[in-house]
Amino acid sequence: MDEYQTEEETAFIVEDVSKVIKESVEVAIGGSTYQHSRVNQWSTSVVEQCLSQLSKMGKPFKYIVTCIIMQKNGAGLQTASACFWDNSTDGSCAVRWENKSMYCIVSVFGLAI
Amino acid sequence: MSDLLKDKSQRREKRTVKVPSEGSHGARGKEATVRTKDSISIVSSMDELGHHDDNARMVVTMENTYQMDILKDVLTNYLQQEKYEVEWSQKMTKTICEVIRARVKDLMIPRYKIVVLVHIGQQCGQSMQMSSRCLWDAANDTFASYSFKNSSLFGVATVYAVYFE
Repeated sequence: MDEYQTEEETAFIVEDVSKVIKESVEVAIGGSTYQHSRVNQWSTSVVEQCLSQLSKMGKPFKYIVTCIIMQKNGAGLQTASACFWDNSTDGSCAVRWENKSMYCIVSVFGLAI
Repeated sequence: MSDLLKDKSQRREKRTVKVPSEGSHGARGKEATVRTKDSISIVSSMDELGHHDDNARMVVTMENTYQMDILKDVLTNYLQQEKYEVEWSQKMTKTICEVIRARVKDLMIPRYKIVVLVHIGQQCGQSMQMSSRCLWDAANDTFASYSFKNSSLFGVATVYAVYFE
């Protein structure tokens, strides 16, 4: 049996992941206005959607998905990440989405097994 | 017999930091609830009956309360007396990230990949929610996080440690 996997199947492809994230965010909070009572449910659903789409891609990766939903208030937010991993196989992707009432920042880190 | 080392079941972990607010201009303090996983004590085991592995493997799962001490230390030292300013906080976020990564690397825990996330934000009375989920091997992988706030800013640092097989 040929178990050779092409590099495409085992590499972290930023574009694909970014598409997955954008779709998940649209689906979960697309037309909504920030509501404190619903934000917990929204962020859970964004993250779960992302994770399930990513695992459907069937790649040999462990994933970490984080989501920040913040009300638009003029406040500033800085985010940074530092990773100790294998540059040739692992990757990350961050997507910043916004609408009139809130910001949503989703980051996905994929670590090859 | 099969043991944790062989079992590659993937389970999800969730951490939520909720920062509610009820005022319009930072007059109200924020409450941050951080729910972290129960701490895992260091376990080392030798596997000499490997059905699939010929090499004996030492697995050390990380003590995540120990990591939290590092996070608490770094965040408090760097942010204690500071006020939120755009450029300063841009630099500070990156610096803190690198400092935490260096200190976690110093723990010299073999075969673990590290991801460090740092968020610094302004306290303006806004409401926000941070959450994360992971698809990994819950037996070997873990995370730790710590949040800090003062009157003008808040800082959240998270470290994820993923076992590399």
